[in-house]
Amino acid sequence: MSVRGAKLSMTGNADQFKNAFREEGREVLVDLESALLELNESRGDLELVGRVFRALHTIKGSGSMFGFEELAAFTHNLETAFDEVRNGRLQIGSELIDLTLSALDQIRAMLEEGAAGAAEADPAACAEILANVRRLSGKPERQPVKEKAALSIADAETPSGAPKGEMREWAIHFAPGPDFMLNGANPLMQLRELRQLGELSVTPSMAAVPPLSELDPERCYVSWEMRLETRAERDAICDVFIFVEDSCEWLIQPASNVASNSAGTAPACAADLTATALEEKRVNVGRRATDKPDNASSLRVPAAKLDQFVDLVGEMVTVQARLSELAARRDDPEVTEVSEEIERLTSALRENSMNIRMTPIRATFEKFRRLVHDLARDLGKDVELTIEGAETELDKTVIDQLGDPLMHLIRNSMDHGIEPRAVRAADGKRPTATIHLSARHSGASVLIGVSDDGGGIDAEAVRSRAIEKGLVAAGDPLTEAEIFALLFEPGFSTAKQVTDVSGRGVGMDVVRQKVESLRGSIEVTSKPGAGTSVILRLPLTLAIIDGLLVSVGDACFVLPLANTLECIELTREDRKRANGRQLANVRGELVPYISLRQYFNIRTEPPPIEQIMFVETEQGRFGFVVDRVLGDCQTVIKNLGRFYRHVQVVSGATILGNGTVALILDPERLVHEAVRAIVHGPRGRPVAEAGNTGRSKGRQVIAA
Amino acid sequence: MGITLDKTDKGAAMALAGTIDIACAAELKTLLLEALNSGTEVIISLADAADLDVTAFQLLWAAERQARQSGVEFTFSGQAPEPISTALAEAGFQQFSTSVHAG
Repeated sequence: MSVRGAKLSMTGNADQFKNAFREEGREVLVDLESALLELNESRGDLELVGRVFRALHTIKGSGSMFGFEELAAFTHNLETAFDEVRNGRLQIGSELIDLTLSALDQIRAMLEEGAAGAAEADPAACAEILANVRRLSGKPERQPVKEKAALSIADAETPSGAPKGEMREWAIHFAPGPDFMLNGANPLMQLRELRQLGELSVTPSMAAVPPLSELDPERCYVSWEMRLETRAERDAICDVFIFVEDSCEWLIQPASNVASNSAGTAPACAADLTATALEEKRVNVGRRATDKPDNASSLRVPAAKLDQFVDLVGEMVTVQARLSELAARRDDPEVTEVSEEIERLTSALRENSMNIRMTPIRATFEKFRRLVHDLARDLGKDVELTIEGAETELDKTVIDQLGDPLMHLIRNSMDHGIEPRAVRAADGKRPTATIHLSARHSGASVLIGVSDDGGGIDAEAVRSRAIEKGLVAAGDPLTEAEIFALLFEPGFSTAKQVTDVSGRGVGMDVVRQKVESLRGSIEVTSKPGAGTSVILRLPLTLAIIDGLLVSVGDACFVLPLANTLECIELTREDRKRANGRQLANVRGELVPYISLRQYFNIRTEPPPIEQIMFVETEQGRFGFVVDRVLGDCQTVIKNLGRFYRHVQVVSGATILGNGTVALILDPERLVHEAVRAIVHGPRGRPVAEAGNTGRSKGRQVIAA
Repeated sequence: MGITLDKTDKGAAMALAGTIDIACAAELKTLLLEALNSGTEVIISLADAADLDVTAFQLLWAAERQARQSGVEFTFSGQAPEPISTALAEAGFQQFSTSVHAG
């Protein structure tokens, strides 16, 4: 029987469909992986077993539909095993989970086959996995593994084998939607799968088929009323429709509900079906709601299109700023009115476009379940991963770049943080260690936390290592936070041994670089014996920020509003009183400041009264002296281009309403650099008096 | 794979070869309309067809209905290959499949 003949043969569109399937498949695999790992922790959870089974079923079904026969055949065997689990004939054990996880890697490879740079599936490994799966599920080798061409879903044994339940008759209504065929699905597949469950009688309804001339040739007008006599459970019947459920209507109900005549061959009575349709519809919808909470009305858009959209909105914000300025100059009420309206709309547009880019961090977090599981096995430690705040939303660009730093942090925690079993036992700790991933909003930032309940960081060891490496001087007074910051210095590692996992001192440095390139910061806290917590503070978005516009001479600068605290005046008298020291007295506290005029070497006379804009940085409070504070502005961040990529104190530029360019300052970096320039001599030698001039920790420069 | 349409004395003879599915559904529709407008008899041959999908079924079904309504004789010639009659039976188009077999 030619199942695959009926699969997609629209050669022109085949690649497109394959890509669509790959994309969907990747998502399903992520879900499958996290379901498997959760299942590993709560083995009796039938819901999770169901989730695994459905994911496998979807991959198998869609795979065979889109021409991934090898993948479908391979997955079929796993599906069979999980069907056994579902029916209570097979126990979930570590072996099955590990096998399925490695099978998952092979499926992933098969999925990406043909894509550039993809790893190829290893047939030998596949065969071994299958042999083991079969041994576990007690299914003798019915399907030769290697003969991929010989395998087809229709010929394969029924997933439910010989269902053990009571023989029942079901009435099934199945109406493919308008796009059903266009999506590459084939209704005959569903009929065939149903037929595998038991005795099926089929009555097609051609009522919806329009006259030939009006018929849309690519649309499916036929619907089916069916009677199925089977021992299979309702779930097994539902599974047939899993991967087409969004593009068709289907109802499954006991035949006795539909019509009193139990003759299986009698055509389903349309009137009866409608009578109970409402009730059943609810069941159907309810089931879907639990299966796929947010899939129904979402749209898949390529990220590049979205970036383009946000770029355009950015341009719009810039032009709108010009319009506002123009309107203010013209003093024409009509122009002002239009300008204000546009301002309102642009601001709403900006917010909306930013929202579109916001995605929950869940997928990134879930990805690490596998890493933790595999590492725990390799390191011989028992570790569980707990996740909090997975629904927290962040800019897609930020999320995309978070994977690496988080991976390094987790690896580091697993390798160095969490103690070996014996040590934990000796310390009276729970044998299973915990790594906790968390995310939450805090103002315009998101805090991403990686914490463990391991041994904590030995601050003294870090310190002596830093001295040994020449990163700090032996006598430097360092706070704990400053010591921990040293961990992120290039080449720093306290590990006595370099392991596969970490210890080369590369990872942590990468974490800092990445986080800083995202305009974020890192905070480490640790308690000896109780564990370590690393918090990454990241901006919500990278494309547009709220800034404060300041000017020095003719130049304009933008300070991120999130960092700014307050503003005070600085008169010439104040300067004189300070005796050349750049310290301002803020309600009794001395706060250092940096003159932007000096720093950027702007050769104009300062006004008699300057302004000090205070900002909060990792190194404490600092002031920037500017001529004037012009007000707040919504700023679209433009890249400066590669010539300026080494200029770190500037995070980008923006175009102002009057058409001039303003540099967006990075307060963290600026303070870092300015302090280094002041504290260190020409080539990094600390100036003697630096280090303890006041209460502010800002001057105690570490990690330079 | 392909659909050929030949004019006959009384109308048209159409031969479906290979896989006839959604990819050539639009072509099938155009040719069926042309065949129906060409005379009083349309003969369809499925002898060389390898597979038909639902879009093809419903086009043939609609064409047959239109032929009946407009007094055109619509018949299938020769034996349909086994996969096609199986697929027809599976989809519940038994009537259809008998007419195909009877052809």
